Amino acid sequence: MAKIKIDSKLYDRAKKAAQAAGYSSFEEFVTSVIEKEIAQLEASSEGEDAVADQLRGLGYIE
Amino acid sequence: MKEPFITIVSGLPRSGTSMMMQALEAGGIPALTDNIRKQDEDNPKGYYEFEPVKKTKDDPSWVSAARGKVVKMVYSLLYDLPSEYEYRIVFMQRALEEVIASQKKMLQRTGKQGAQVGDEKLTELFKAQLIKFNHWIANQKNFSIISVNYTDMIALPQLQCDRINTFLGGILDTEAASATVDPALYRNRL
Repeated sequence: MAKIKIDSKLYDRAKKAAQAAGYSSFEEFVTSVIEKEIAQLEASSEGEDAVADQLRGLGYIE
Repeated sequence: MKEPFITIVSGLPRSGTSMMMQALEAGGIPALTDNIRKQDEDNPKGYYEFEPVKKTKDDPSWVSAARGKVVKMVYSLLYDLPSEYEYRIVFMQRALEEVIASQKKMLQRTGKQGAQVGDEKLTELFKAQLIKFNHWIANQKNFSIISVNYTDMIALPQLQCDRINTFLGGILDTEAASATVDPALYRNRL
């Protein structure tokens, strides 16, 4: 398992948020947040590609 | 003497940018075009395009010659413009549903392929792109922008041309510009 270092204040906030949101552990919360962020970034990249395809098809970009 | 600014007509494809180019040219601002893309059923009065804008990122050498003129660029190419010039952007706004329906028709007529996503998704994507674009342009010191609604331009061209004239510093012949808008051609057009 990989380990990362984060600011202690951020850690405290994240731990409280994880408990309030009902996560069974802090690790589960962090994993979920990272997965969501990755999915969003991937979706955003796919979105950029789709828009570029549309603009290219219409002849506005190369 | 202050260098003349570059007027850019921008927006999403099929939002009325060619109509605006025609108006501004008639109003006395020379249009930078190459007439490579000829008029057709989708744009019966011509496209007013300039091919080098598509390569701005790699070769922005054309920009210097655009000072004092008007050029058409799709919004996504504006990010590539060099920072040493002043740009005044006339940004066309049109209901996204109409824009996408019109784009779809154009793609069908030309036999070209666009985004492989549904209309709803494409609407979301364009919305997100425009939010990002508006945020970016608000932070560019050398850009100023005026939004012109497509429907308003057709319904009240003189009023819109007056607004644009103020934005451009009084260089536009607003009567000549507004006279180019042909409601019969554009109203309810997809």
